[in-house]
Order: sequence, then C-alpha cells, then structure tokens
Amino acid sequence: MLRIENLKVSFEGEHILRGIELEVTDGECLAVIGESGAGKTTLGLSIMGLLNGNTHGRITLGNTNILDLSAEEMRQLRWNRVAMAFQSSQNRLNPTHRILDQVAEPLIAHGQNRKEQAKQRAAELLDKAGLSPEKFSHYPHELSGGEQQRVLIAMALINNPEILILDEPISSLDAGSRIEMMEFLRQAITDRTVLVVTHDLSTAAKLASKTATLYGGRIVELGPTSDVLSRPRHPYTRALLRSYPNMTTVKDLQGIKGQMDRRVIGCAFHPRCTQAIPLCHEQIPELTDHDGRKVACHRGGIIPALSADNLSKSFGAIKAVDSVSLTLEHGETLALVGQSGSGKTTLARMITGILDPDTGEVFLEQSKSKQSGKDFHQVVQLIFQNPGEALSHRLTVMEAVREPLEIQGIGTKEEREEMARKTIGEVELPTTEEFLDEYPHHLSGGELQRVNIARALVLNPQILIADEPTAFLDSSIQAKVLKLLMNLQENRGLSMLFITHDIAVARKISDRIAVMQEGRIVEQGPASQIIANPSHTYTQNLLNAAAELHSDMDGS
Amino acid sequence: MFTKQNLLTYLVALGIILTLNFFLPRMMPGDPLMAIYGDEALVQMSPELQTDLTERFALDQSLGSQFVSYWAGLLRGDLGYSYSYNAPVTEVIFGRLHWTLLLAGLALILSTMLGILLGIESGWRRGGRFDGGMISGMVGLSGFPDFFLGILLLLLFAVNLELLPLFGAEDAYSGLSGIDRLADIGEHLLLPLVALTLARLTGSYLLTRNTMIGVLKEPYILLARAKGLKPRTIKYRHAGRNSMLPVMTRTAIWVGRMVTGVLFIEIVFAYPGIGLLTYDALTFRDYPVLQGLLLVSALCVLGANFIVDLLYAKVDPRVNYAR
Amino acid sequence: MHVDPKREVAKSKGGRIGLVLLLIVVLTAIFAPLLSSHDPLVQTVQSFESPSWGHPLGTNHAGQDIWSQLVYGARTSLLVGLLVAMLSTILAALIGTSAALVGGVYDRVVMRLVDSFIVMPVIILLILLSVYVDPNLGSGAVTSIEFLIGIVIFGVSFYMVRSLGWIGLLIIGPIIALVILSRDLLPSTGGLIIILSLLCWQGGARTLRAQSLSLKERPHIAAARGFGGGTWYIMRRHIIPDLGPLLVADFVFTVRRAVFLQAGLAFLGIGDPNVVSWGSMISDAHEWIFLDAWRWWLVPAGVALSMTIIAITLIGSALESALDPRLRGEVSAQN
Repeated sequence: MLRIENLKVSFEGEHILRGIELEVTDGECLAVIGESGAGKTTLGLSIMGLLNGNTHGRITLGNTNILDLSAEEMRQLRWNRVAMAFQSSQNRLNPTHRILDQVAEPLIAHGQNRKEQAKQRAAELLDKAGLSPEKFSHYPHELSGGEQQRVLIAMALINNPEILILDEPISSLDAGSRIEMMEFLRQAITDRTVLVVTHDLSTAAKLASKTATLYGGRIVELGPTSDVLSRPRHPYTRALLRSYPNMTTVKDLQGIKGQMDRRVIGCAFHPRCTQAIPLCHEQIPELTDHDGRKVACHRGGIIPALSADNLSKSFGAIKAVDSVSLTLEHGETLALVGQSGSGKTTLARMITGILDPDTGEVFLEQSKSKQSGKDFHQVVQLIFQNPGEALSHRLTVMEAVREPLEIQGIGTKEEREEMARKTIGEVELPTTEEFLDEYPHHLSGGELQRVNIARALVLNPQILIADEPTAFLDSSIQAKVLKLLMNLQENRGLSMLFITHDIAVARKISDRIAVMQEGRIVEQGPASQIIANPSHTYTQNLLNAAAELHSDMDGS
Repeated sequence: MFTKQNLLTYLVALGIILTLNFFLPRMMPGDPLMAIYGDEALVQMSPELQTDLTERFALDQSLGSQFVSYWAGLLRGDLGYSYSYNAPVTEVIFGRLHWTLLLAGLALILSTMLGILLGIESGWRRGGRFDGGMISGMVGLSGFPDFFLGILLLLLFAVNLELLPLFGAEDAYSGLSGIDRLADIGEHLLLPLVALTLARLTGSYLLTRNTMIGVLKEPYILLARAKGLKPRTIKYRHAGRNSMLPVMTRTAIWVGRMVTGVLFIEIVFAYPGIGLLTYDALTFRDYPVLQGLLLVSALCVLGANFIVDLLYAKVDPRVNYAR
Repeated sequence: MHVDPKREVAKSKGGRIGLVLLLIVVLTAIFAPLLSSHDPLVQTVQSFESPSWGHPLGTNHAGQDIWSQLVYGARTSLLVGLLVAMLSTILAALIGTSAALVGGVYDRVVMRLVDSFIVMPVIILLILLSVYVDPNLGSGAVTSIEFLIGIVIFGVSFYMVRSLGWIGLLIIGPIIALVILSRDLLPSTGGLIIILSLLCWQGGARTLRAQSLSLKERPHIAAARGFGGGTWYIMRRHIIPDLGPLLVADFVFTVRRAVFLQAGLAFLGIGDPNVVSWGSMISDAHEWIFLDAWRWWLVPAGVALSMTIIAITLIGSALESALDPRLRGEVSAQN
C-alpha cells in the first residue's frame, strides 16, 4: 500500500507540490491526471526518491517511510519495491548498451538472478510487451519511440515491484500500438499497486479504478474513475474534460480561461473559476469528502447556479408546466429540449421572473431568491427568441445596449457608454460611431441577435437564459452566434440555460440535456449519455427525427 | 570514425608531405645533390658516391623523371643514404624506431586512460574538492611545455636525487639480458614516460570531464538511478562509457601532438628514438635522414589514426547505424 | 549566441587569474627596457655568475644577463603568439565561412585540405621547412610582411574599437604598443610568423565552418539573400559578426599554440640565434644542467613560459565554459 501524506516539494523557491494527500491500496490502480507543469512527474519521482529539491511530508510504502531512508537503503528499495516506467524520449535509454542488457540489468544488479537467467527473463518480458525478438540485441537508437516505450515498461516490471508508477505510458505511441499496449498494461497491473500519471484522460479511464485531478500542486478531486469522468465535481476536472478530444463527449471543445499561475494566493484555481467567492482568494481549500467524492473547494465542488423546485403553471385548463425541477450548475450549459408547446418558454419566463409560478420556487445558488430587484437582474438575464421584436425599434444600438445600465443606475453617462461599447465589441460587432447609431431595422438578423446578447451581457450576469436564440437565423449565422455564446461562456464563466427544439444543436453545445414534453421533464443527464443511450421513448423519437446527413434510401 | 572520408584525408596528408619532401630540396638554387645532402656532406663524399647517388635518383635529369625515380625509390623502400651515419636512411631510422614506439605508444595509452579515469571522477564529483583540485592541477600542468616538464623531472630525479638514469634507453654495454634487461629498460623508460604522460594527460582529462558533466544530465542517468544501480555502476558503466566517446574522436589530433611531445622528451632525456635522431639530423644537417623521418613519422601518425578509427566503430554503436 | 566574451571571462575565477597573469606578462614585455639594465644579447666574459644586484638572475654561459633575457623574451613570445593568432584567425574565418557558404566542390576540397593539416605532425614539417627555407628574409620580404601586419592590426583595431568601444581600445592598445616596440624582432621572426600562421588556421576553420553552416540555415540569412545579398556581403555583415565569441575563443587558443610552438622551435635551435626567447634559454640551460645555474637560469625561463601559457589557458577555459551551455552550472530539479 502506498500512502502519501502532506507531500510538499519545492525547488529553487518554487513550490511544485503543495501538500499532496493520496492513498493507493494494494492491487488498486490510481490515476493522477493533470496538464503539463502540474507536477505529475515530480510526484512520480518523489515516490522513487529521485528529487533534488526540498521534500517534506511522508511517503509510506507499507510500513516504510521513504523520506526517512538513507541513500543506500533507498537504492536497495528502488526497482524492487517501487519501479517507474518513464515516458520514452530522446536518450531515455543508454545509447551504448543493448536493449536486452538494459532490461536484464536491474535483475543482476540487485542480485536476483545470474546473467543468463536474467537475460532470459528479460527476453520473456520484452516478448510479452510486444517487442520483436530480433530487436533484443539492438541499440536504442535503432528502435522507434513506441518500441522504446515497450522496453521501458518491460524494464519497470522486471523486478516484479510491489508498486508500479506509469508515467504517460501510451502518449508516445501511435494509434495502432496503443491498443496492444493497453492490453499489455492491463495484464501488468493486475494484482499490483499502480499509480498512473498522465494528461491523457482515456488512459485513466481504461486503466484506473480511481482518479485524482492534480492542479497547482494539489489534488483537487478524487473519486471512482467512471464517476469523476462522467460527473466531475471540481470545476477544473470539468474543464479538463471539456477540452479533451475524445469519442465520448459530444460538446464542442472549450478551453479554460486564464493560465495556471503558481503564485496565486488561496485556491490555485480561483482566478479561472466561475463560482469563486472572496474566501477562495484567502484560504486554500482542503480535500474533503462530499458524497463519496473528495473535492478541494470551499463551495464543496460545483454548486448549482440556479435551481428550480417543483414549478408549475396553468393557463386555465392547460397545464403548461407540471412540477418541473431543474438544476443549472455553475459554469455549465444546460440545454432544455422540447417541441413548441412543451412549456419551455413558460418555464423560462417563470425562472426569470416575468411570470409568476403557481407552485414551486427558484433558488439562486441554493438560496431562495426573489426574481426581481437589482440582485436578481444583475445575475440572471434572458435572451429572447425573436431579436427584431426584442429590441425597441426606437432605440439605436448604443441606446439599446445602454438601457439596462440606465435602469439599474450603474455608473456615470460616460462609464455606461464605455461599458456598452466594450460589450458590443465582445459580441464581435463593430464599435464605430456609424454602427452604434444604427436603428434595428437596418441590421441583419445575426447582428440583431448579437445586439441582444450584448444587451443581456452588459450587466455582467452570471446566468444567461437563452430562449431559442437562433431560431430565426440562417444556419451559417446560427453557427457563428452559437460559437459566440460558447466563447462568452468560456471567457466570462457564464452558466447558460439554452432552450431549443433542436436536439442536434443541443448536442453540440451542452454539458447536460433536459428533455421536456408536455410540461414535464422526461429525462435529464449528461449530454453524451442522453445522446448515446436515451432511456425515454420521447427522447428516442427526438433523436430519430433529428437532422442527419445519411439518406435512408441509400440502403446503408 | 572510420569512413572513406577519413581515409581520403590521410592519403591527402601523406601526399602533401611526400610532395613537399620531393619539391623542397629541388626548389633551392644550385645542385640538387647539394640541396639534398648539404654542402658539408657533399664535400666529404667521394666522386664515385656522388655519381652513384646522382644516377640512383636521376638528379641530373628532368623534374619529371626525378619524380618517377623518387616514387620508385619510395616503393622499394629506398629512402636514400645517410652520410653522417654511413648507412642507408631506412636502416638508421628503423634501427631506432622501436624505442620511440615503445615510449610514445605507452604514453599515449597511459595518458588517455588516466585522463579518462580522472575525467570521469572529476565530472562525477563536479564542484567538489577533488574536482576543484584536479582542475587547478590540470590547468597548471597544461601550461608546462613538454620539454620543461621533462627537464624538471630530470633535474629532480636524475640529477639531484640520482634515483634514475640520465639518458639512454638502456645500459648498452652492461650485457644484461632477460628480466634484468627488462628492468634496466624500464628504469630508463620511467622518467621519459612519466614526463610524456603528464604532458599529454590534460587533453583527455578535460574533454572527458566536460563530456561527463553533460552526460550526467541525460535522461538515461536518471533511469539508471531509478533502477537502484550502485553509484559505481552508474559512474562507469553508464556515464563513463558514454563520456569516453569524444576522447576517441579527438585521438587523431592527439597522436599528432604525441609526435611533438616525444620529440622534445627524447631530446631532454637523450632517449635514442627517432625524436633524438631528428634533433641530431637537424644539428648535423643530415638532410636525407630528416626527409626520411618526416615520411616515417607521417606514416606512423596516419597509421595510428587509422587503427583508432577502426576501434571507434566498435565503441560507439550509433556510428554504424548512421551509415 | 548572446554571450559576452569579456563578461564571461571576468566572471569566472580562473578567467580573472588568467587575465591578471597575462597582464603581468604583457606589461613586462612592454616595459622591458625599463625593467632591465643590460642588453640581453651582449656577451661578456663573466659567465655563470650567481645572482647579484647587477645581475638579478646571474649570467649565462655567454656572460649574458639572464634577467634581461627573461624580460625581453616576453616580447618574442607575445609578438609571435599574437601576430600568428591574428593572421591565423582571419584566415580561419575567411576560409571556414566561405567553405560553409559556397559549399559544393570548393567546400569538399577545402575541408579535405584542412583535415589533412590537422592530422599532420606539424613540428616535423616545421623542422623540414626550417632546413630548406632561408630564415633570413630579404628586405623586400620584410617590408611586405610589416605592411601586411600593419594592415591586419589596423583592421582589427578598427573593428574592435567599433564593436567594443573603449574596452576594445583597452585590449588592442597594449597589443599595438607591443608590436611597435618589438618591431626590431620582425625581420628575424617574420618568416616564422607567416609560416606558423599558415599551419595554425585549420583547427579554427573547422569550428567556424561548422557554426557558419548552422547559421546559414537561419531565416534572417535567407532574407538577406532574398534582398540580393551576395556571398561576400552575407559573410561580412551577418555571419562573421555572429561568430564573434567563437572567433575570440579561436584567437585565444591559437595564441597558446603559437607561443608553445615558437618556444619549442627555439628549444630545438631553429631560428635566429640573436633572437632572445624563453625556448632558447631553456635549451641553452639544458646543456649546463649539471651546474647549479639551472636554479636561476632554467627555472625562471620555464616558469615564465609556463605562466604565460597557463594564463592563456585559463582565459580560454573561461570562454569555453561560457560558450558551452552544458558546462555552465545549471542544475535541474531531477537528478
């Protein structure tokens, strides 16, 4: 069993690891995911005792604290009890030694085998790793990167270590080799305690039962792999998943605003986080348990930005919205999909306070809210369907975008103009005097919708509710507006409730989808799951009817 | 590294030397025989000898035929006749060549090996006291020209302490044989060998040390440590092995320098090899011997380089692959 | 390469020591007449005198004052060393960069020649040349050599002052002073200087060619060619300036080699016997090694020579460390 307690590593004044807490039980495989510079390799090397920097804390293998050992004791322990399969790179293998010799070397050096036997075992292992036998007597430069990686992994296994550390085991392999290697790795890690360190989420998914996310030198999330990857609770893990090209998630790729900066005070992620509060700037959050998942967040992980509880509304005999409960999490896009008449717009109006619900309540960040007043309107904004109608034909672009600021009494006249101008620039519209003086009837559909969006954004809301924002637009314009919304979300950290009848659009832009039929939510869940495995017939129908580019008549 | 390029280089070098050897004396004004032999020697030569030599080397004919007979002479191993030694040049030179090969060969091997070992150690303990001391010592040592170093050693051990003989390769008249003879040769060889080795040590040391420093930063050294190998194994089998390579590529230059070194050392210690022969021939203006010496030394240097090239391919596996 | 040679040398401890030692030697050479009271070449009957006030290091076998010889000997070593290095480095730069730029047959032929010379035992060649080439040059030859050296020094000074400002003046000033003061040595050493220059440029040519080859591929060179820059222009404006630190390093190592070779040749007795040099002092002293005189005759000469070479080596090593990033004290988190 490997246990890491409060591991801190610094080098030349820079703190690379700031208090890592991890535990890998016997036979378990834990993946640590993170981007480059996060400290993953440092973590691996610290367990091997190979770091030059200042190391504090405890790293226990079974009963032994590695950091307490002398150099000689550590040397004897290396490779026998804990071994690391390095990532293959230039000069990772000694250029003047043959492959077989290098793999057999640890056996001989630690006195476990004599030369002939050692070479035999090395050959067997290399064979299992998929290296062709004629290469055994070759030198490293004669092998490809993928072959070198196999050698490195076989080498790590040769002394049959209790604990194996895999550093980016498949990153340097091409697609064909990856499948074989994955197979080999799966065998290799059975009944072994393994720590996989990688930026590649699919490696974690395939090999590890538990996954931890490393950010800014600390573990920010830890939990069962399938849970973490399908329902991340830390904003960074979610952002990682959003930016990772894979065949499972359907949403378009999004980056994370800002950059990792080691010198941030408080929670390392808070400058890039959509739900940061002042405490996040002051104190570093501890890794604590929330519902079987460990998250390091002062808010306990991703919290709902807005939730609706049991909302209902009837117009006379017609029940437009029937006991709808909905949660929009911070920083996510939730698509509400349904046909016309399903009650989507009514629901949207209730949420934004334009309509009073018959029953139920709306909560902002878990506290009940009055859907009115400054506090509400500065947090939630609505974008309407028909841009032409949504804008008064008497106001110019500038006046329209300025209006919310004037109503709320924010800033001086000049400041309001400046803020309006900036927001107009943000939605990729020209900020020339000419354009700002235009009246709506001179603008195209796409431009109008952008003005709409700018107007909604000028109050810097956290939550945007977009009601069929592209329904009246041509597809090419629709694409641009959708991309704009995605970019705005990425840059500003918006949480968006996107209402649409088109599940194909929803698929492209949402993290989660809720399907609405005749006033009720029939299904909701992660977008990739809903699309791949819909459970409700209505959803299935929607999917079947959705736009497709195959012709049914092709017989394909 | 053995390549066709290197072979060509050696042949070109040889060619230049041979051509210079041929043309230089013949470019001087006056009788070529005089130029080749020097006026002093000429005065003492009998007319028959003069005629004989003139004929043998076609000295009274056109440059072209002279060139041909020059090459003919070379190919049959005829390097001319030394008047001051009264023997064919070939005999004079080859009679003493073995002493130089003994001295220079041993010195080359010793200085390279010792330099590599010390360089590995220095690189391994970079910045420490051993390294600091070694570097200072080596830099200091490198400043001493071979001849001065030799003289100092001679002064200390031979003149003042009278521990070792002053000159010669062995006690020629003592009639020793077997082990005794070997011991005697060893005694005579010791000081010149030490001097020459010390003089040539710094080159391989510095290069090895610098290479070692770079090698220790390579990823495979981290891997070797991760494998839990003993420090000594990493130092020699992993780092040292890779640090030796540049030294071998530079050997070509060092063999050339060794020739310079051996020349001076032989003079200082009056060691009867071809170095001392060169000096004597210079003093006595025995031109044919000088020319012959140039040729023989050039051949030795090129030959040694050739051998090292062949060895290098065995030592660096990447070389074979590159072709 | 953004390496500033002067700063690098001044930074390292070894470099500083080297500079100080070299300065001592240079000043000795320049102020030789002030430091000694005798003409080093005048022979007297008082031979083998022990050190005394009149003769701080005694006299040698020909009654010459050893201290004066020592002090004037510095001039010979430095003059030959500096001039050979100057000429040789210029040759190396021209040939090395042109080979890299022109390429093709020219490059291959030149490199073959360069390699052949590197491999050859130079000393034997020098010995043979000394036998056949008349060391005494006619006055015509001497004037042309003086002229050549004059142009070279002028060119180098101009370039150094322009690129290094007053530091350049500081470096080139003593060199010019030295050359002017040692003019009397030129007729006898001029030939040697020329020949040594012809045999010392090859090593530098190789390194400079290698660097030029890699520089050649840089985009800004291609751009210059695109504007119509010819080979000579590119060499002059782009490549040679970028080679700066390497040129300096080559210069320093050539000085070392030239000082060594000159001393060695003097030791062998090659060259004008009227030229005072440390090598010839050692050679003479070696003959009389049985007498006590070696203490104040042989040892000082040898030490002076060694000190000079060590000084140059230290400076060279400091430069080398600066140029090779691996040698700088960079430590990484791993390992």
